[in-house]
Amino acid sequence: MSVATPNDTTANDAQADPVVVALMQRFGERAFVEQATLIGMPVLWVARDSLIDVLRFLREMPEPFNMLFDLSATDERLRGNRQGLPDSDFTVFYQLLSVSRNRDIMLKVALAESDLEVPSSVSLYPNANWYEREVWDMFGVTFHGHPHLTRILMPPTWMGHPLRKDHSARATEFDPYTLTVEGQDKEQQALKFDPEAWGMRRGGEDSEFMFLNLGPNHPSAHGAFRIVLQLEGEEIVDCVPDIGYHHRGAEKMGERQSWHSYIPYTDRVDYTGGVMNNLPYILAVEKLAGITVTDRARTIRVMMAELFRINSHLLFLGTYLQDLGAMTPVFFTFTDRQKAYEVIEAITGFRMHPAWFRIGGVAQDLPKGWDRLMQGFVDWMPKRLAEYERAMMENAIVRERTRNVVAYSTAEALEWGVTGPNLRATGCNFDLRKQRPYSGYENFDFEVPLGGNGDVFDRGQVRIEEMRQSLRIIQQCIDHMPDGDYKADHPLTTPPPRDKMLQHIETLITHFLQVSWGPVLKPNESQQMIEATKGINSYYLTSDGNTMSYRTRIRTPSFPHLQQIPAVMRGGFVPDLIAHLGSIDFVMADVDR
Amino acid sequence: MAYTLTRADDAMAADNARYPLGERQRVEDPLDQQVHRSVFTGKLEEVLHSAVNWGRKNSLWPYNFGLSCCYVEMTTAFTAPHDIARFGSEVIRASPRQADFMVIAGTCFIKMAPVIQQLYDQMLEPKWVISMGSCANSGGMYDIYSVVQGVDKFLPVDVYVPGCPPRPEAFLQGLQLLQDSIQEERRPLSWVVGDQGVYRAEMPSQREKWRDQRIQTTELRTPDSI
Repeated sequence: MSVATPNDTTANDAQADPVVVALMQRFGERAFVEQATLIGMPVLWVARDSLIDVLRFLREMPEPFNMLFDLSATDERLRGNRQGLPDSDFTVFYQLLSVSRNRDIMLKVALAESDLEVPSSVSLYPNANWYEREVWDMFGVTFHGHPHLTRILMPPTWMGHPLRKDHSARATEFDPYTLTVEGQDKEQQALKFDPEAWGMRRGGEDSEFMFLNLGPNHPSAHGAFRIVLQLEGEEIVDCVPDIGYHHRGAEKMGERQSWHSYIPYTDRVDYTGGVMNNLPYILAVEKLAGITVTDRARTIRVMMAELFRINSHLLFLGTYLQDLGAMTPVFFTFTDRQKAYEVIEAITGFRMHPAWFRIGGVAQDLPKGWDRLMQGFVDWMPKRLAEYERAMMENAIVRERTRNVVAYSTAEALEWGVTGPNLRATGCNFDLRKQRPYSGYENFDFEVPLGGNGDVFDRGQVRIEEMRQSLRIIQQCIDHMPDGDYKADHPLTTPPPRDKMLQHIETLITHFLQVSWGPVLKPNESQQMIEATKGINSYYLTSDGNTMSYRTRIRTPSFPHLQQIPAVMRGGFVPDLIAHLGSIDFVMADVDR
Repeated sequence: MAYTLTRADDAMAADNARYPLGERQRVEDPLDQQVHRSVFTGKLEEVLHSAVNWGRKNSLWPYNFGLSCCYVEMTTAFTAPHDIARFGSEVIRASPRQADFMVIAGTCFIKMAPVIQQLYDQMLEPKWVISMGSCANSGGMYDIYSVVQGVDKFLPVDVYVPGCPPRPEAFLQGLQLLQDSIQEERRPLSWVVGDQGVYRAEMPSQREKWRDQRIQTTELRTPDSI
């Protein structure tokens, strides 16, 4: 696969894009309005009536756009700066990804407030199902032809659509929360599963199905996740995952926190990923601000992000093996995690959520003696990883329990929007660090571990290999850490470099304004996708020329991973489901945000 | 020492009764009256209470229940480096019916609140609640439409552990504070002996207790070296 690095696309470049050219030839130039953004891919507005045809064309063209990467909406009613764009109260956007082309395209559909309906694209991209439900839940846009358009993140009894601009954001704007005996019964009743509503039968030809409710609190569910199983004996006939028990409104929060003060909220999205979550957000903001960071800051970021990748994968490994019934590994991997936290704490001053990256750099320079500490961790890990491999992955019971269990192919994975190690376990060589290097990953020497079967075993094995590669990257960071500043010298760097702030009144004023009101970014849109711990994570930011974001869209990898469960679990057994849940590596905050 | 008396009447609760159920009132130590009536039975009862409480506090079985980030730090406390077994709480239970206390480790969501209430109701007395982390304490940094601003809006909380998330050590300290408060509790020694109510001691505020010592700190370590 060729490694292409698409540069920031302007309107002129977009016209040269072969996909855009093909679309114009097929549908005519008047069918599209191009939007120049900093997103780094062609952004085309299409009419609602031709949306499905355009999607089908892209889905079926040679080297197709085989993944619906993201689908969401924006409430445009209060947006001031949208010159040259089609009139729209609500905009639904579709981001498609082509693995073979290594390119993306974004389609936008303008809707009037009086007519909020779009044709459903579930028949083309099955993973549109949950995304469309989310748009309905959050914005109240209906999708014509959707098989089951109900709330997904909010409780079934909720009134209103939270991401609309006229919906209150704060809990303290509502009446204080109370729970009465009656209210408790009502809410529990509303959560009760109704098989008929999902088109499920209660019995087969000569047997009655059992409906088993697993979650929202279950030791194997890795958090507040619920899945209802339709069982015939031990066999799963069908299942319905139910999410939304962990919706913290991270996207709405972006609309009231300044560009700077939103950073801590990103940490808590994939809460095992720490500063890895800061990275896509910070990179997207820096695109909007036009900041180029120093080599040192980039390398520090890569090093800390990779350390958190190891940390997250260690948590995965321990819980994955525990879900298979091995009690001991979790004690070992958590000991390693403690070693990682000793380094993280010495450098960032915090354990899980350091919020340590800043617009234009990192919070502070590396402390004296960091390299010795980091080297200690890098030296400690390889023999531990070898031990895990020897004791667990070569263990006959683990192999029997995981090989050829819940296996899926690359095509199936792409169809459902699966990314990250779960995609690479199917043998698909798609790692954004190689395919679209960001933050200086092109300077590092590392390999992308691949699996072959896409089963539970491969998903575990790939992650062990990934930890080794991350250790290699960290070693290169230790050996070749560039000198220089840890912050860019740019007026929008927040907070500005401290030594300047102490000397210049201008910088002092800027410092004061940026930490009190927040930095002001020019109106535009930008996006950054990164290879996060669990798959591809992206932040799509819309600035309206204010101190805070107009719309923050967070695409998280775990959301499609959970949506895929029924497709791969039908016909499987309950213990295989538990093994599969362990192998997906999800946290609910990364699903519900 | 002042106590809070709770009389449980969950079974008789009206539909519009708000959680947490039960009537609460502030009272003096119930044993004081006993001591004045008869020194001998008063002492005997004190010895019995302290023996039972000693057993209770040293074998607290936690409920395997987690909501978000704090749960990761809570489980970290269960593993080798922090080893919660030192405090007798390593017997983590997956069923609420076998557990003694529940740690609300993470954000309490409006969609999750009725589920949490149901799980709490399924736990058997005596039972306790630790609220772990800023979200569970007060909503923390999530003043947002989908989050309950503190789990004490509907659950009776015994110990609050601050932090976002708290370190495993902080959780272990919270557990020890719960143990201290259990030692002072007065529960009916049997269903026919004594007053049928739960007397919980009002434990001193940790912030006030440590304030003088903490403000002695004038120089913090520089972050420029490790």
